Amino acid sequence: MASKAKTTIGDMAWPAAFIACLVWLVWYFPRFIIYAGLANDNLNSGYMTAGAVDFALMAGAVIALVMGLRSVRTTAGEGEIETPIDRLSLFLGRVTMLLVVILVAVMAYEVTLRYVFERPTLWANEMSLWMAGFIFLLSGLYAMQQRSHIRIYLLYDVFPRSVQRVCDVISTALICLFAAAMIWGSWNEARDKFLRWETFGTAFDPPIPATLKPLILLVMVLVALQAVANLIADWRKGPETHGVIDEGEVEEMIQTARAQHEQGRHD
Amino acid sequence: MFDIGTISTLLLLAMLGLLAIGMPLGFASAILAVGVLVMKFGPDLLFSSFGTGPLNILAQRIYGLLTDYVLISIPLFIFMANLLERSGIAAEMYNSLNVWLNRTRGGIAIVTSIMAVIMAAMSGIIGGEVVLLGLIALPQMLRLGYDRNLAIGTICASGSLGTMIPPSIVLIIYGLITETSIKALFTASFLPGFILASFFILYIVVRTRLNPGLAPLPELEIGEPELAEKRKLFGTFLLTLVGGFAAALFLRALFLTLTGQNTAREGVEDIAFGTPVYVVIFGVVVLAAVALIFGVMGRERFRTSWSMGKGLVGPMVVIGVVLGSIYGGITGITEAAGMGVIAVGVIATLRGEMSFNLLAEALKRTLKSTGTIIWVTIGATALAGAYTIAGGPTFIASTIVGSDLPTMGVILIMMAIFLVLGAFMDWVGIVLLVIPVFLPIILRLPIEEIGLFGELNPAHLSIWFGVVFCMNMQVSFLSPPFGPAAFYLKSVAPPEISLTDIFRGFLPFIAIQLVALSLLLIWPPLVSVFL
Repeated sequence: MASKAKTTIGDMAWPAAFIACLVWLVWYFPRFIIYAGLANDNLNSGYMTAGAVDFALMAGAVIALVMGLRSVRTTAGEGEIETPIDRLSLFLGRVTMLLVVILVAVMAYEVTLRYVFERPTLWANEMSLWMAGFIFLLSGLYAMQQRSHIRIYLLYDVFPRSVQRVCDVISTALICLFAAAMIWGSWNEARDKFLRWETFGTAFDPPIPATLKPLILLVMVLVALQAVANLIADWRKGPETHGVIDEGEVEEMIQTARAQHEQGRHD
Repeated sequence: MFDIGTISTLLLLAMLGLLAIGMPLGFASAILAVGVLVMKFGPDLLFSSFGTGPLNILAQRIYGLLTDYVLISIPLFIFMANLLERSGIAAEMYNSLNVWLNRTRGGIAIVTSIMAVIMAAMSGIIGGEVVLLGLIALPQMLRLGYDRNLAIGTICASGSLGTMIPPSIVLIIYGLITETSIKALFTASFLPGFILASFFILYIVVRTRLNPGLAPLPELEIGEPELAEKRKLFGTFLLTLVGGFAAALFLRALFLTLTGQNTAREGVEDIAFGTPVYVVIFGVVVLAAVALIFGVMGRERFRTSWSMGKGLVGPMVVIGVVLGSIYGGITGITEAAGMGVIAVGVIATLRGEMSFNLLAEALKRTLKSTGTIIWVTIGATALAGAYTIAGGPTFIASTIVGSDLPTMGVILIMMAIFLVLGAFMDWVGIVLLVIPVFLPIILRLPIEEIGLFGELNPAHLSIWFGVVFCMNMQVSFLSPPFGPAAFYLKSVAPPEISLTDIFRGFLPFIAIQLVALSLLLIWPPLVSVFL
């Protein structure tokens, strides 16, 4: 049965712990590059090598990831978990949801400081930009797991299930091919920017190129894996008909609208 | 390897093929971007050395898109709309509007339209709006014996206004990919959107006046104030709103004066409504409003009017925060969206509706919608990048412009393509795949031949086309056989109302939309009025 569970604070605990560890790790990641002996002179002079705290937090992030993957569950409207990669996509989805909240908080902080106190921060805009990059990429992975990417079902729905399977195989193969083409063309640039820990070149100077360039490739691969997982998970399922609008989504809209309407009447 | 004509033809065929087999739009575009590069450079050059080569263009385009600050406004506006949908702000607004207008002929239909405009100005996502109105307003109109077609058409046509009235995600994406100022697009679309909404209301008023049987009036409820008294109550409520608004601006001007932020400086533009003289002006307005309310109208009337109208305050605050941030010069679009999220969150908290689950549900939907919209954008950006390198848009523009077609003929063909595509495809796909091909053509058409009257300012050309595009998408929400508004309404309508009934109800409203569209085509400077 598809889950109807409410999302609780418990669902967000490990994702939150994961983000907390990652904040440190990402900011001081050059220490690990130095530790691995891959750093250039510029990094070597700017950072020290990874120490006990760094490795402790690295262990913390791994624990949070593992525990998060073990404990992640679907809540109302999210279907069910069928493959291991579903777990990863859902966990990263939870992480991304928290990032959206943090993004809003950062913006509110910046606007308050700038408008009320006339003391704008140096970091808030670039921080938003950086986090948004993560949000954009990872939300696509979540959308892939949830099968909510925009498709046109006009002909697809008319096909018999066997033809639909062939269509799905072609689609999935092409998605994998695209991921491969991306890596083929961009591997060197992503690797170089990562190892050089290339920054944005501004006052706050966040490592946006160093993190986003490799992340584009990484998420592309994860999305392709999720597409393969979807293909396998949906293989045995019967044909589905798709309306113009998402039925689950509308069901939820109706419930919320009805609840508000009832509430309004008692006023 | 191939010439650009062959590439364009193959690209179109492959795109149709991939969409037909149900491949996700974003990924179909993405793999076709690779396809275009293969056709342009040949596989030998492309795959000669691992890790580099022309394919890197794709990642560069995607990286450029992801680090565009304006793009952040999309998840934020979606988040705001989702919070709004789950709070009771909209339902209470309906009740408030209804109290004021239920004695007017066709009142509930008018309430529906006004409510849709206000909701459009708050978020601009159509699904939830149509569902909510279909659930609240439709049963009420049917119970009162309103004409069914009128009721259906009003709900769906008004509920689709979200794309025309700022903030609109369609316009944000349009602005993003065409590098047009989004603020200018918002400003330009406001008047056409408002005209369209007024046409709807005018249509309702005229039809129900001509034939009162279409919209019977409800019985007077016991304890409900008489019409004359209601007018006075409404006056009191308006005064309260004016007073409250002036008080907010008074505090702002006072704050700016006390902190000395508004001292006149050479070369720096004065803050709008923020110079010291406004402290006095707004102070007087507040005092006058308070004096009128308590001196002339009376305390009792003030209380009644407040309880009747307070549902309108929340939406006005939200609109004030979002549009005020954009036009008051406080923040850009992106931060205005962030402020909108905060405003809706605070109001929902004050109303006692905020909960962890509500937040999580809103975030889940936000993530899904963001993922789908952004990844179509990612795929289309890659494709547009590859196609531009292959010389596609220039080739198509030259072909069309060189073919001696009349200018308005070309534009009308484009409108037809928009309308046909809109019946089958989401607006996201159209704006991302078709606009990059159409806009270069528009930009090269002789500008004096665009429109029948008046000459469009050349700087406003791409803005005009964006607004025209938006108007087309209005029609696509209603047009059979796949207009999504019909399906949203069907999901909440009584079972005896069939899809055919719903689409039949749309017909006069589609006609009104086409009239508004022709207005833009006949007199293009309409978009420049507020620019």
